[in-house]
Amino acid sequence: MRTFALFAAFCLSAGSSAAAKLVEIKEPARIVDAFAPAASLRVVNVWATWCVPCVEEMSDLRAIGDIFGTQVSIVGVSLDDMIPADRAATRQKVAEFLDQKRISYSNLYYSGKSDALADALRFNGEIPITIIYDRRGRELWRRQGKIDRQNTIAEIKKLLRRNP
Amino acid sequence: MKKLLILALPLLAVACVADELAVGAKAPAFTLVNAVDGKTCSFKPGDGKISVVFFTCNQCPYAKAFEPRLIEIAKAYEAKGIAFYAIDPNDEARFAEESLVNMKDRAVSKGYPYPYLKDADSSIARAYGARVTPHVYVVDPTGVVRYVGYVDDSARPEERTKTGLTDALDALLANRSVATASTHAFGCSIKFKS
Repeated sequence: MRTFALFAAFCLSAGSSAAAKLVEIKEPARIVDAFAPAASLRVVNVWATWCVPCVEEMSDLRAIGDIFGTQVSIVGVSLDDMIPADRAATRQKVAEFLDQKRISYSNLYYSGKSDALADALRFNGEIPITIIYDRRGRELWRRQGKIDRQNTIAEIKKLLRRNP
Repeated sequence: MKKLLILALPLLAVACVADELAVGAKAPAFTLVNAVDGKTCSFKPGDGKISVVFFTCNQCPYAKAFEPRLIEIAKAYEAKGIAFYAIDPNDEARFAEESLVNMKDRAVSKGYPYPYLKDADSSIARAYGARVTPHVYVVDPTGVVRYVGYVDDSARPEERTKTGLTDALDALLANRSVATASTHAFGCSIKFKS
């Protein structure tokens, strides 16, 4: 019984720590807070656990994060909140999903208006979408739909040469 | 400063490619199989009716989230003479959930008040420039597209602040212009038949 209680406590603590790492935002303007300030390139990836191509490309984004390290700051923006359900439970589910997928780049749980996000990122609502900005917030590249790992790596190398 | 930067992003961003059928364009006609009864169902734009053509599917959680709302809207507005056509454009060869049999099961179990049509080669979705499910088009009695975009701005009823589809229908019923004729249709990408 004690073992079970300890195990349960561990699960609860592991679960809540996963959710704690996933910051909830309601304003698209908060996305910029999640970028590593020193990074030369800033990558926003809008996704959801229910979006098949989004999930398929996560390993590619993780690999890109591993390859470029501190030069490139990746921030995922989860839209899972768009499906009506208990908000805290959904956020927990997304956090656990990220842990399962061993995603180390930053992620945000977006619970604001979809219109506001679409306007801020200038996209039409179709996910995934991946956008690369420079340090000053100037858009350099975007891909609507699933990224191609090799093409994106080549593109980032090119962009880094121009934006060291 | 940070906020200024992200607010500046839209101004600096490359304009999106707008491939969906534009407001003011003539709506494409179609004849598709209705999964519910196996018979063909035709939409002839300019038939004198206001029509709602929307792309949806069996598997997308976001489309499913809007299903009760679309059923509610259809029941309310069909009584006012508006026709509704639900179209599933997803490739059933890759996604078995989108087969005619599964479509029929869903339509019957949910009590769809509209035909649930299979766009087997995704050609109608392409003709409309539909990208996601759900993606809504309102066509006026002369066959012209008068609204494109979402059902509402949120699938959470308590957070809904904009009702794009019903606003458009109310405007057309009152012979007014549609104030917000285009909105951002969020959802799952359509699994086009290649």
